[in-house]
Amino acid sequence: MSICDGVPVGLADAETIFALSSGHGRCGVAVVRVSGPASATALRSMAGLTRSLPPPRTALLRSITEPQSKEVLDRGLVLWFPAPHSFTGEDSVEFHIHGGPAVITAVLQALGSMPGMRPAEAGEFTRRAFQAEKLGLTEVEGLGDLIHAETEAQRRQALRQMSGDLGRLYQDWSHKLKRCLAHVEAFIDFSEDELIEDGVLTQVDKSVCDLQADIERHLKDERRGERLRSGVQVVIAGATNAGKSSLLNTICQRPAAIVSPIAGTTRDVVETALDIGGFPVLLTDTAGLRDSPDLVEREGVRRARERVEQADLTLVVVDCAHLPSDAQEAAAFLLAHLKSILPETAFPPTRCLLVLNKTDLLHGDQRQKLDWELRRVCGLPPVCLISCHTNEGLQDFVTVLHNSVKTLCGDPLSGAPTLTQARHRAHLQQCVTALAQYQQYRDTDLALAAEGVRLALTSLGRITGRVGPEEILDIIFKDFCIGK
Amino acid sequence: MLTKKLSTLHSFLLLASRRAGHLARQQYDVIVVGGGHAGAEAAAAAARMGAETLLVTQKIHTIGVLSCNPSLGGIGKGHLVKEIDALDGLCGRAGDWAGIYFSILNRKKGPAVWGPRAQLDRQRYREFIQAELLGTPRLTVLEGSVEELQVTEPNPEEPGHHRVTGIRLANGSHQISARSVVLTTGTFLSGSLFMGQTTSPGGRIGDAPSSAGLSYTLQERLGLRVGRLRTGTPPRIVKDSVDFSLVEPHLPDKHPTPFSFLNTHVRCKPEEQLLCYLTCTTPGVERVVRESLHLNCHIQQDTKGPRYCPSIESRVLRFPGRAHQVWLEPEGVNSDLLYPQGLSMTMPPDMQLLLIREIPGMQRAEIHTPGYGVQYDFVCPTQLSPALQVKSTQGLFLAGQINGTTGYEEAAAQGLWAGVNAARWALSMPPLALSRTESYIGVLIDDLISRGVTEPYRMFTSRAEFRASLRPDNADLRLTLKGFEEVGCVSSLRYQEAVRVRDSLQEALAALQTLTLSAPNWTKKLPNIRISEVKTTSLTGVDLLQYRDVSFEMLASAFPECLSRFTEFSQRLKIEAVYRFHCELQKKEIERIQKEENMALPQDIDYFSLPVSLSQEVREILDRFRPSTGKRREDHAETNQTIRRIEKRSCVQEMHLYLSEMTDKLPCKGVCIPQNVQNNKLKCLRTCAIFMFYIR
Repeated sequence: MSICDGVPVGLADAETIFALSSGHGRCGVAVVRVSGPASATALRSMAGLTRSLPPPRTALLRSITEPQSKEVLDRGLVLWFPAPHSFTGEDSVEFHIHGGPAVITAVLQALGSMPGMRPAEAGEFTRRAFQAEKLGLTEVEGLGDLIHAETEAQRRQALRQMSGDLGRLYQDWSHKLKRCLAHVEAFIDFSEDELIEDGVLTQVDKSVCDLQADIERHLKDERRGERLRSGVQVVIAGATNAGKSSLLNTICQRPAAIVSPIAGTTRDVVETALDIGGFPVLLTDTAGLRDSPDLVEREGVRRARERVEQADLTLVVVDCAHLPSDAQEAAAFLLAHLKSILPETAFPPTRCLLVLNKTDLLHGDQRQKLDWELRRVCGLPPVCLISCHTNEGLQDFVTVLHNSVKTLCGDPLSGAPTLTQARHRAHLQQCVTALAQYQQYRDTDLALAAEGVRLALTSLGRITGRVGPEEILDIIFKDFCIGK
Repeated sequence: MLTKKLSTLHSFLLLASRRAGHLARQQYDVIVVGGGHAGAEAAAAAARMGAETLLVTQKIHTIGVLSCNPSLGGIGKGHLVKEIDALDGLCGRAGDWAGIYFSILNRKKGPAVWGPRAQLDRQRYREFIQAELLGTPRLTVLEGSVEELQVTEPNPEEPGHHRVTGIRLANGSHQISARSVVLTTGTFLSGSLFMGQTTSPGGRIGDAPSSAGLSYTLQERLGLRVGRLRTGTPPRIVKDSVDFSLVEPHLPDKHPTPFSFLNTHVRCKPEEQLLCYLTCTTPGVERVVRESLHLNCHIQQDTKGPRYCPSIESRVLRFPGRAHQVWLEPEGVNSDLLYPQGLSMTMPPDMQLLLIREIPGMQRAEIHTPGYGVQYDFVCPTQLSPALQVKSTQGLFLAGQINGTTGYEEAAAQGLWAGVNAARWALSMPPLALSRTESYIGVLIDDLISRGVTEPYRMFTSRAEFRASLRPDNADLRLTLKGFEEVGCVSSLRYQEAVRVRDSLQEALAALQTLTLSAPNWTKKLPNIRISEVKTTSLTGVDLLQYRDVSFEMLASAFPECLSRFTEFSQRLKIEAVYRFHCELQKKEIERIQKEENMALPQDIDYFSLPVSLSQEVREILDRFRPSTGKRREDHAETNQTIRRIEKRSCVQEMHLYLSEMTDKLPCKGVCIPQNVQNNKLKCLRTCAIFMFYIR
C-alpha cells in the first residue's frame, strides 16, 4: 500500500482566507472578502469567468454561482485586486452581494467548499496587511479599535457558542482527542523504558475511530435541512384544526403547508426558513396534538411534541370558537390547554405566544372584549388575536413575534451563527481528514500518526481553544508513572 | 576524530601548567564558570567562534564528569545530541568515543522520533572532553572558585540595567576581566545535599560547595528572581554482588550508530559492547519506602521535583501497588559498579540497602556510594533573551541547570548556544536566536524563556510542534550550514562535509524524481512489491520509495547506472521520501511563525518614561517581560497571569489610547520633521501594534 495516499485536502493549502467584511445582521449590501493565492480561482469559479480575470480594481456585475452545482446564489459586484495592490498585499477578491443572511451564508459556504479556502480568523486580514507592511500610520492607529472590536466580538461569540450543547459536544471531543494524543505521545516518548503497554495504542485506535465516526455524522447532520438551521426555532403547536398550517402559510406568505378543513391534515413536521426583521427564524408547523388510532398520525404527534420541547419559541394556536365566553373561564381553559401542549419545564411560559385564531368567527365587540380581558390575566403568555382568513390582527401579531425573536436573540451577533457554523464545518472537516492520517500511518510510522492526531486537535482547537504541549504532558504524567 | 591519541600523561602536563598563577593574561573575551556539560560546550563554542576564552572550574579533573547516569541521548535527548554535533559541539563525538552500549530507541515508531542513545564509560567520556578542551586553541582552563561577578553601569547604546565586566576569584582578590561571562554552575548555586535526615551544603557529593557570593550577586546586585528545584541520584551498586541469573539482559544494537555526523563508526567494537539488565520493584520496596518516610527529609519537603525521573520514593507513593522498572546499567569497561536507573533515593544509607535488597537479583547487593538528593537555586529563565543572555545584564549568559533544566543534553545544548552568543557579544556581533521551527535547541530555549519552569525541564519529542521536520537524521542540513554561514561556530571541514551531503541528497532525489515508470513497469522491475495504483498512473522513484517495503538499495540495484553512487545515503533518502510531503505541509506553518518571530520589538524602549496614559501596572508588565517579538503566545504563563488579572480589555484600550496620543503628537502631513524623531515615534507605534497582536 502506498503510504502517501489520502492527501489531507484543506490542510495542504490553508492559506486563502475569506470572511464577511461588512457587519453582521441585515444590511443592504454585504461585502465578502477573499485573500490569498486561491483568490483568483475563487473569483473565476464563482463569477463564471472562465478565461480572463476582470481588470484590476474595477467593479463588474456578475451572477454569483455555487462552484459545483452552478446554482445562482445572487447577482452582485465583484472586484479583483491582484497582489501587491490590495489591502493585505496578497491577491484579493471582493464580492459585493445582497445583505440577507441567506445569501451571505450561501456565498460563504460556497467559498468554504473550495479547496485551499478557509474562513479567516478574527483580525486575520489586518494581520496579513500588517505583516506585508501595508498599513500606514492612520491604519496602525485604527488597529486598536479594530482588534478590540474583534476580540470583544470573538469573546462574546465564543462564549455564546460554548455554553450550549454544541459547545459541550465540541469540548467533549477535544477532551477525548487530548487523551488520544497524550497516550500516543506517552507511547512515543516513554514506552522504551517504561511500562507503557501496547494496549494503550489499541484504546487510542478505538477512540480515534469513534471520534471520526461521530464528527462525520455531526457534519452530515449539519448539512441537512435548510440553510438557516441555526436560526431561532419557532414551533407552531396546538390542537387539530386550530389553523396552525394556515398560520404558517400566512406568516411566510406562500402555501408552504397543505391546509384543509379536515382535522389531522398535517401529519409530519413542515419547516420553513424565514427572515423576521433581520433575524433568521426556522418556523416549524407540527401535527395537531390529539390521541389518534392512526399509526402515522401518532408518529406525527410524537414528533410534534419533540419539536415543542426543542423550540426556542412556541406559538400555541387556539381556535377562538372553542373558548368559553366568560373571560375567567377562558383564561383557565387556556392555561389548561398550555399545560397539555408545553412540557413541564416550559412553565412559567415565557417562551410562548398564544395565538387565538379565527377571530372572523367572533361576533361584534366580542374580539375587543376578549383581547382586553385576557391581557389582564396573570400567568398567561402574550395573547394575539388574529384571523388567518381575513388577515385581521396579523400586523400586530408579526410585531409581537418580531419582538419575541429579538428578545430571544438579545444580541446583535445573532445573525452570525451561520457564519461561525461555516467556520466550524471547515475546522471539523479538517479534523476528520487529519484523523484519517492517524489510521493511515498507525502501523508504519507512529510519529506521523501522532502528527495526524495533533493536526486534528489543532483544527478542533480553533473552535474550542488551543491545546499546548504542556497540557498534553500533564495528561501523560497523570495517567502514567514515568520513572526515567 | 576517533583516531586522536589520548595521552593521559600529556593531558596531565597540560593541566599542571594552567593553575591560577600562571595565567597568560588578566583579560579575556569570554569567561565560562563551571566545567560541566554546559560549561564545556560553552567554552568550546566561544573559542570556536574566535573569542579568547577562559574556563574556570573547581577541579580540572572533574570537567566532563557524568554526575548521574552513565548514558547520553535517548528519545528527544538524542535529537539534542545530534543538533549539538551539527553545530560542531563536543558531546556527540565524546559519546562515540566513550560509548559501550549503543541502541536507537523507538526504532519501530518512525524516524522522526528515533532516539539514538548510548551507555558511556565514565572515564573515557571525561578524558575525551578534557583532551578536547585542553587542545582547543584560544581556550585556557583555570582551576579556581569564583567568588563574585564584577558588574558595572550598562552600555547606554544597548538595552539593560547592568553590564558584567569580569569575575573575582575566591582566596584573595584575584580579578579577571572579560566582556562576557557564561555561568554554568549546575546544582552548585546555593546547593544542599540531602540524605536521610542529614543536610550538607554542596552541589555534588565529594565536591566543595560554591561560594555564596555568586548567589548574592545574582539576587541582590542584579535583582534576578530565583526559584528552588530538586533532583537526586541513585546509589551505585557493586557489580559482583548482583545475581545476573535473576535479571533480564538487554542487548545493544548489533551495529552501533554513531552520534556524530563526522563519524562512520564508534570506538567500541560491536562485539565488545556491554549489556544492560532489567529488573523491577516489589511490594517490599514499597514497604521500605513507607517505613523510612519519617527519616527522609528530602521527600517530605515540597520543593518542586520532576514528575518524570522521580525518586523511587515518589514513584511508589504516587503509583502504589505496581512493579516499577529498574535498569542496571554498566558504568564503564573497567568499572566494578552498576548504575540502577530508576532508583534515585534520599533515605538514610542503611534503609537504602534494605530497599535494594527487596529487588530481584539484588538480594545480596552491596552499595558502593549511597544515593542522595540535591536542592539548588535556579534563575527563572523568563529573565533571559533568546540568546540566553540575562535581559537586564549586558554580557551575562546562563546555561544548564541554573536555568531550571535537567539532563546532560539539555545543559550541553544551552551551553553551546550561550557560548556562541557570549562570544558574539564579546566580539561586538549581534545576538542570534535559534527558532523552535528549526531545532530542538530552539524549542528548549523558547520554552524556557517564554514559559519559565515549575519543575526541572526535560526535552520530549512532544514539545516540538514540527517533529516531522526536526528529525535526528537531518540535523546537519538544518544546522551545520547555518552554523557555518551565519553563526560562525562550525569548522570548514564539517561545513564541507555537510555541503557534500546536501548536494548528494538533492542529486539523488532529483534522479529518483526523473525515474518515471507506469505501475506495471515498476512491477516488472520490482516483482516483489505490490503496487496498488491503477495501470495508467505513472510513478516516480520518490513515489516508490514511499512504499513501506521499498528500500533505496532495491531501487539502486534496479537502476544501478543512475542510483548506485548514492547508496551511502540509502537510509536518509528513504526517510526524506517518506517525510517529504509532511515537511512541505509544515513548511507553510513554519513560515508563518517565522514571520511573526521576525516582527522584533525594540528591546530598549523605556516603558516607564513613555509620555502616555499607560497604567503603572501595564508599564511594569511590559518592562518586566520585555516581549522580544510579536509572537502571540497564549501559553505564556507569567504574562498571561498578570494580564488576566488586570483584564485584557483594559490593556488593549490603554494601548489604543497610547496610539492615539502618539499619532496626535505626530505632525500633519507635509510638514517636514527630523528623520530620527519620526523614526522613533514610528518605532513606538510599531511596538504597540505588535504588542496588541501579542496580548490578543
